[in-house]
Amino acid sequence: MVKYTLKRVGMALFTLLLIVFLLFVLVRIMPGNPFPSERMSAEAIAAKRAEMGLDDPILVQFGRYMANLLHGDFGNGTSLYYGAPINTVLSNAISNSFRIGGLAILVGTAVGLLLGIVAALNRGKFLDGFCTVFSIIGVCVPSYVFLIFLQYFFSFKIPYFPYFFDANRFLFSSILPSLSLSLFTMSTVARFTRNEMVEVMDSDYVRLAESKGLYGGTLVRKHVLRNALVPIVTVLAPLIVDLLTGALVVEKIYGINGIGKLMVDAITGEGVDYNYVLALGILYSALYIGIMLVVDLLYGLLDPRIRVSAKEG
Amino acid sequence: MKKTISMLLAALMLFGLTACGSNDNPAASNGGAAPSSEGSNPSSDGGKYLNVMLSTNVMSLDTNLATDGDSFEVIADCIDGLTQMDADGAAIPAIAEDWDISEDGLTYTFHLRDAKWANGDPVTANDFVFAWRLGVETNEEYGYMFGDGVGNVKNADAIMAGEADADTLGITAQDDKTLVVELTAPVSYFPSLMYFPAFYPINEAFYTGLAAGTYGTSADTYLSNGAFVLENYTPGTASLSLKKNDTYWDAGRVKLAGISYQVVGSSDNALTAFRSNTLDLVTINGSQVAAAEEDADLSNKLKVTGAGYMWYLTFSQTDKNAQGGMLANANLRLAISNAIDRESVVDNYVMDGSLATYTAVPPQFAASATTGEDFSADQKKFADYCGYDVAKAQEYLETAKSELGVDSFEFTMIYGNNEGDEVANVAQAIKSQVEENLPGVTLNLQPMTKAERLDKMQNDNYDVALTRWGPDYADPMTYMGMWVTNNANNYGFWSNAEYDQIISDCTVGAYVTDYDARWAALYEGEELVMKEAVIAPLYTKSNANLIADGVTGIEFHPVALNRVYKSASIG
Repeated sequence: MVKYTLKRVGMALFTLLLIVFLLFVLVRIMPGNPFPSERMSAEAIAAKRAEMGLDDPILVQFGRYMANLLHGDFGNGTSLYYGAPINTVLSNAISNSFRIGGLAILVGTAVGLLLGIVAALNRGKFLDGFCTVFSIIGVCVPSYVFLIFLQYFFSFKIPYFPYFFDANRFLFSSILPSLSLSLFTMSTVARFTRNEMVEVMDSDYVRLAESKGLYGGTLVRKHVLRNALVPIVTVLAPLIVDLLTGALVVEKIYGINGIGKLMVDAITGEGVDYNYVLALGILYSALYIGIMLVVDLLYGLLDPRIRVSAKEG
Repeated sequence: MKKTISMLLAALMLFGLTACGSNDNPAASNGGAAPSSEGSNPSSDGGKYLNVMLSTNVMSLDTNLATDGDSFEVIADCIDGLTQMDADGAAIPAIAEDWDISEDGLTYTFHLRDAKWANGDPVTANDFVFAWRLGVETNEEYGYMFGDGVGNVKNADAIMAGEADADTLGITAQDDKTLVVELTAPVSYFPSLMYFPAFYPINEAFYTGLAAGTYGTSADTYLSNGAFVLENYTPGTASLSLKKNDTYWDAGRVKLAGISYQVVGSSDNALTAFRSNTLDLVTINGSQVAAAEEDADLSNKLKVTGAGYMWYLTFSQTDKNAQGGMLANANLRLAISNAIDRESVVDNYVMDGSLATYTAVPPQFAASATTGEDFSADQKKFADYCGYDVAKAQEYLETAKSELGVDSFEFTMIYGNNEGDEVANVAQAIKSQVEENLPGVTLNLQPMTKAERLDKMQNDNYDVALTRWGPDYADPMTYMGMWVTNNANNYGFWSNAEYDQIISDCTVGAYVTDYDARWAALYEGEELVMKEAVIAPLYTKSNANLIADGVTGIEFHPVALNRVYKSASIG
């Protein structure tokens, strides 16, 4: 298990380094100017470029960037929030997106699992049909449409929830966006749980367990759900990254200062802010790679066969 | 056992992700008394918070770094300059109680009133000296306003070029309450420059006591001397709030308890937020205006105000572009300019009360100091060169064809796809009008971000561009300075010695002391631009605002500060 873990961590770190380098090069090829100005002279802009080291060879720039990065320094904004350190802006945005996304994951997974289990246990009956219809709607309707719907009814018609996000009442004003974001996860998890459980319930070993006299909760928990969980964890992983990295449209509609909105601002604002695009790109990749790593390790725990095959390989 | 562990791990992973974000975010959640966004909150003294929409995030509250109108508005809520705008945009005393101008017009002596910073420090002449030197030395976007051609502050250009020290700038604190500014040439509109944020003071002791790069990044690192103090702000936030500054020298005038700003990304959302009473002041887009006019509930709340900036076409005149420099031909440019039906563009595509414009300097922002007349009140004065006249446009086109020996033209027009809801439609309209009215001319459209558009224009890598310019100060020169040979904003690379001479005479030469002669010379210069269609003016943008019942006293301006709330109140 230790060797397996080390190998996975090593691979993850290498992948991340490669991605950072690619991002670093790509960002510099992007069209647009990191110092947009209609009033400054060409000399003044050239001086700013030189100050930021943009005229140095790319490997020198990359080395300097990595050195700063290892100290946790993403640099300063150039065209976005001029002069303010990226770390301040980024940590606020991360905090908002993670909390709203995290809440959405919790609600989505919990309710999704529950719905899936209920559907599987009532296969072919009304509840199963209801869950299927619900899942299809949930997967098809984009989260922002759901948000507009919620906003219209619960902030406008019945003005109970705030119309826009309010950092001073974080939890309360997170409910509508989290709920709308959780819908997709909820439906996906419900659908997968139901299908996996139905498949497992038809399998020989469950029939055997049943014939041994196991039934009800014990059977579902010990034999069905555990075996059904592996594929669910697989689909859940990318969903988690999606939710944490901010939902652009939802953030825009609800006025949330999150990382999805930040990314779009960094690219389509007055100029292209290299440092923000890079910082956010690194964040996305690190999150994705990190979660995939956790999932790999979780597989090992959930299914000993994966561990064994890794040992053999 | 393993089952329990795995379940626990999975749960921990989810909880961990939520929890790692739940560390208190001090910047976003400080100021517990901040207003919520649900309606106008009454405060102890009976005033209320005004809930206002911003279209974009506040980019910076540092007077030297800010570049956009929304940032300027919030800065001006918090900081007073030497002068301020009255309801009509004229400069009236603020921190300066009054001022003397030397006979040669080169020395301004400002006498400061007893005003205080919010931390109790007095506002002194040195606060201006410090801020101006910093502004000129750092030479950011608006540094140019100190230099020759705009503010004419002595030595500003030399300092910006790195040839002189910042302490040689023509501004001195004679004593705490007397500020002397020396100019290289008289500037007739100098007092009205003083209400622009680039000229605002900064408390030196406060600024230098902060860690580098943190000034203006939170309520604790920003110091007001104006009507409001920052209550709740963090860079990048979608909502921020200000509360009334009780130590403001004119606090008696301020009726609001505070202002709560909300960044709203879409006009549809703005309209619903207004209807739900979440916001008291919103800007809507052209396609919503017609609906609002017919809605009994909204029509009486609609107010169209001048946004100041003018949209226009610029043509690259270099050999590099437009089929080897075809657009250097003035007749071809005149043909395009006269083939555009500007009234139809504003009525059918912009639809928010924007004004069709036929002058190189747009109307509404620059009035003569002697007659009070708007520089561009007469939109017919260049009717010979700019109007909607298909027959004339085709005549110009025929002349161009024979001069160039070409029968057909194909150009590409670039425009920003993130510069407002109506811009893509306007671009389409221009394309179809030009192609329909000018046989043989093809105008391809190429949308891109504003950043890319500017990049292409600055590198002279375009044929035709749909672009805009807003006035920085209340004088026609804020536009006319652009078409001087080699000016960075002269995107067409047009060059005319006569024009350059007129502009020079009006900024540093013969006309600087003769107001009426200068005004007349500016007209002549403008005619040269229009005669050759250096640009094709299109329309002067308006803002369609919805203002909640009972809200009065908000002052709207097309130049410098779009909205001022010092006299605003909620009924």
